[in-house]
Amino acid sequence: MRNGFIFNENYCVGCQACIAACVLENGWSFQPRCLYTFNSGAHPSLPLTNLSLACNHCEKPACLDGCPAGTFFRDSDTGAILIDEKKCIGCNYCKWKCPYDAPKYDYVKRVIVKCNLCYSGLTEGRIPACTSACPTGALGFGEIPEKVDNKNLSWFPDTNMNPAIKLQTNRRPVTLRIIPERSFDTVIVEEKDKKNIAGEWSLIGFSFLVTVSVAMLISSLMNGILTDKVLFLSLVISAGCLSLAHLGKIFRAWRAVTNIKRSLLSREIAIYLAYLFISAAALFSGYSLLILAASLTGLLLLIVIDNVYTSSDNRRIIILHSGQTFLTGLLIASFLSGMIYPFVFIAAIKLISTIYTITKNNVVTTPFWIRFFRIALLIIAGVSLLTGISYPEPVIIIIFLVGEFIDRILFYYDFNPLNINTLITEQINSAINEKKRD
Amino acid sequence: MDEFITVCPRNCYSTCSFKVQVENNKIRRILPCKENLATPEGPCIKGLSYIERAHSSQRIIHPLLKTSNGSFRQITLTEALNIISEKLSDIKRKNGPQSILWYRGSGISGLTNEIGNSFWRSFGGATTTYGNLCWPAGLEAVRLTLGSVKHNAPWDLENARTIIIWGKNPAETNIQEMAFIASAWEKGSRIIVIDPRRTPTADKADMLVSPVPGTDGALALAIARILINNNHINKSFIERYVSGFNEFINNLKITPEDAENITGIPVETIVELANIIAMNSPVTFLPGYGLQRHSNGGQTIRSVLSLAVLTGNIGKSGSGFNYANLQSYIFDSMKEPLSYYPDPVKDLPFRRVISMAKLGEDILKTSNPEIKAAWIERGNPLIQSPDTNTVRAAFAGMEFKVVVDQFMTDTASIADIILPAKDMFEQSDIVSSYWSPYIHFKPKILKAEGEVIPESEIYFHLAKRLNLQFNDKQIPEPGNDNIERWLEYRIRDYTDLTLNDLQNGPVIAPGYQEIAYEDMKFDTPSGKIELFSAAAEEKWGISPLPEYISNNLQECQQKYPLIFITPNTGSRIHSQFGNLDIIRSITPEPALEISPIDASRRNILSGDIIKIFNDRGEIKSLARISNRVPSGSVILPNGIWMDEWGGGNLLVSPEETDMGYGAAFHDTRVEVMKVN
Repeated sequence: MRNGFIFNENYCVGCQACIAACVLENGWSFQPRCLYTFNSGAHPSLPLTNLSLACNHCEKPACLDGCPAGTFFRDSDTGAILIDEKKCIGCNYCKWKCPYDAPKYDYVKRVIVKCNLCYSGLTEGRIPACTSACPTGALGFGEIPEKVDNKNLSWFPDTNMNPAIKLQTNRRPVTLRIIPERSFDTVIVEEKDKKNIAGEWSLIGFSFLVTVSVAMLISSLMNGILTDKVLFLSLVISAGCLSLAHLGKIFRAWRAVTNIKRSLLSREIAIYLAYLFISAAALFSGYSLLILAASLTGLLLLIVIDNVYTSSDNRRIIILHSGQTFLTGLLIASFLSGMIYPFVFIAAIKLISTIYTITKNNVVTTPFWIRFFRIALLIIAGVSLLTGISYPEPVIIIIFLVGEFIDRILFYYDFNPLNINTLITEQINSAINEKKRD
Repeated sequence: MDEFITVCPRNCYSTCSFKVQVENNKIRRILPCKENLATPEGPCIKGLSYIERAHSSQRIIHPLLKTSNGSFRQITLTEALNIISEKLSDIKRKNGPQSILWYRGSGISGLTNEIGNSFWRSFGGATTTYGNLCWPAGLEAVRLTLGSVKHNAPWDLENARTIIIWGKNPAETNIQEMAFIASAWEKGSRIIVIDPRRTPTADKADMLVSPVPGTDGALALAIARILINNNHINKSFIERYVSGFNEFINNLKITPEDAENITGIPVETIVELANIIAMNSPVTFLPGYGLQRHSNGGQTIRSVLSLAVLTGNIGKSGSGFNYANLQSYIFDSMKEPLSYYPDPVKDLPFRRVISMAKLGEDILKTSNPEIKAAWIERGNPLIQSPDTNTVRAAFAGMEFKVVVDQFMTDTASIADIILPAKDMFEQSDIVSSYWSPYIHFKPKILKAEGEVIPESEIYFHLAKRLNLQFNDKQIPEPGNDNIERWLEYRIRDYTDLTLNDLQNGPVIAPGYQEIAYEDMKFDTPSGKIELFSAAAEEKWGISPLPEYISNNLQECQQKYPLIFITPNTGSRIHSQFGNLDIIRSITPEPALEISPIDASRRNILSGDIIKIFNDRGEIKSLARISNRVPSGSVILPNGIWMDEWGGGNLLVSPEETDMGYGAAFHDTRVEVMKVN
């Protein structure tokens, strides 16, 4: 047995006393605990379910393993997963890693903050404020089994993290008949916020510039013509600078390489730095062996970048996404070095995977025409390469790169790490559609 | 850190006990108090918000005087008391004491509120109000039928096999009751909610039946007819304990088909409801106060109550009609609603001529003497009374207004002098509940900031300045020790109850019946449950039998097609708590909820600024489209301050309910329009 949250939905009326108690006990300026509601729009054909959730202080916390700066640690007395705010660089990677929406970004302090299990109270014999405050007893704290099966709530993320929370099963199926019945055209379905990738620009820029630089290196290896030093280095360095821009705490950026042992992101950053130094040395010395080493480091970097994403969102549409950096890097390299067969081969893969994404993407996040536009740009570039007409005109190169850039942007639209909010949206939409068909 | 047991003194069913931890004169923590079996898990967000509220920077902690340019200037307590005593004696000399209106709201409850009574009595009297804005039609309906107003202990709900929550929304207004409802549901009880809205309470139910607002009486009487026709009534119970059954049958005019036309509920559902009530007993009815805020409110409650009577669901575990439980109101010489009828016993020097429902209108028409001044405490009539414009005009016409409040409310802002009111933690008191069986001691825990003194001390100092005759049993000397001595004296007649016992935690009221009416004694003229009440006809001029009469909607339906409902919400007690940061940070911005159909007909989108209007005036608000609202009705919670898109009472007509002198808030129609 271990300590954990115990939640019985039958008793939860969504009053938010848990949230108030949490904020008042800790004096937060944000809300680590939130109320998640299935059918918050009260669609009359469906019952409504509440879940009060903060951090579950998991046995295998993905935040702790993912954080590149080693911000998270486990409190030895209480088992609480805590954060050392002074270490956080504000990169928000833990928000991708935690499907339970536990880490919250504090826009004032520009660091991640989260539930601390009221750990100092626990050592004094007080249960967490949220649990003692629940006026119906829906949310409690106490002994729960080592392994809990919470599959009874379909929209509760099912992971191998073993969160310390036990969701009581409904002893009766929840249904709600509403009389008089309301026809579907008298009801609204709540519009969920469209995915906003405005905050991701620096990451899009970083990954794309790095991809282009790797392609330049490889094509210079193929063509035997040393690539332009200034252009190359400015690409790689501005990529690094761009990636700094999304951090809450830029001056702590160096901390990002302090968790290489556990964090994939930490490794990515280390490899980026290695790539920068090796490629600079290669270009200034002109040694082909160094250029080869730099190219290989670059390819490794692209693989790790892709891994950072696919380890957070391992759905097939992401793993097979045409906007992945490794695939794009190889395509750009073959284009720049004028290698027709590799180009056609990789371009074909990209086309197929784009079409796959269009057919499989059940959360349509962008209009279709953008994807078709992106395909059109690829075809223009391909025709130019195959026929030799206008190749290698800078205009065609730009058209081609714009297409690949759009592809990278689309990747961010499709990228959606497993998250309770997404699960709720997906499931409520499909439940409503099912009712509509009945 | 010191720990105390205290109680929430708001006008709320739950009246939660809770523990307070205090450090350096600051509330540090609020924890549940398991000793109160009705609220063992502690208070709601409002109760928790005392951590902020007690020390809020918004609190008024010094007396304020209105200056000639309309703004307020801080003055000392001595200055304030001097000005007030001069003004009061001046007005009394010129116009007599009854030219002063003593207005009390329900902002804080406790025995010490009686000290104001003593003050005004020794002052020579005052004009006061009669009636009540909240619940009196239903209280009177239950009193006429059962002879008293009480129900089973809250936890007995777990023994019900069917719970019919009729126009009540405990998930927001009596959260602790939801624990007993959930527990009953887990054991297999059927939960039925009858409400125009899909409330959070309905989300916990098996079935939501949504009649047209104000037609609940027709629904109830149609169910009664089916119960009788199907012989699903408890004949032996009726023979022994009920009077007027034959008259009741003969008067049942509403058929299920009529009811379908009136309520919008299909006949088969009405039949189903009747069958559930008949087949799954015991049944507990949880009627709310919303369905009696109509001109037919009292008759509606009598009609619903008749279902419990016909099926014998009175006086047994798991059954009952839980309208209100006044069993812990032991200190009142006369219980509500009788206590606030106009001059129940000739109580000179007080003059009760102003109806709470018609506050503005009645102030303006009162003469001999006219109302020249007002003393307002524990209330915010500019937000809570119907017909705000008239209320505002009535107060504006007065020479002098004193408002005692903790915050700069809409009402405080029209005062000539604002006296800071104590917080609940700043004076000891004794508090009863109208839902749970307990009597509570509320200790003084905090030393007040600034020049805040309790009302009892304000009255003491004024009485001294005015040279009034009084003793310390009437108005005790300042100091909390004196208040505790006064409380001890006040409860001296209750031998089972000592201040000492109360100080250790909540105490069950002496003589409490866990199962109300289990002795089958009914304090009615006939000694039986009265379906036929001669008193109803004599006192209120209505049918002696429960009847459905359609509501007296004031506005023209063509011009103002939307029924305007102003319920309570979980984040406020009427106009209290909405100003606190913690409440604002976790609850959505106040808005008018409108159905998707009504919104699309008016091209209104969520978030639009709209105006809500009728012949009485107009207010601005935000729109929120919601599936929870039936088409034809719009919802704006009451108690929202003017500066945060509120003040819905501006649109409400000042009309009394059919009995009990309540206010028919929900008999209001409006139109809504987008503001461009």
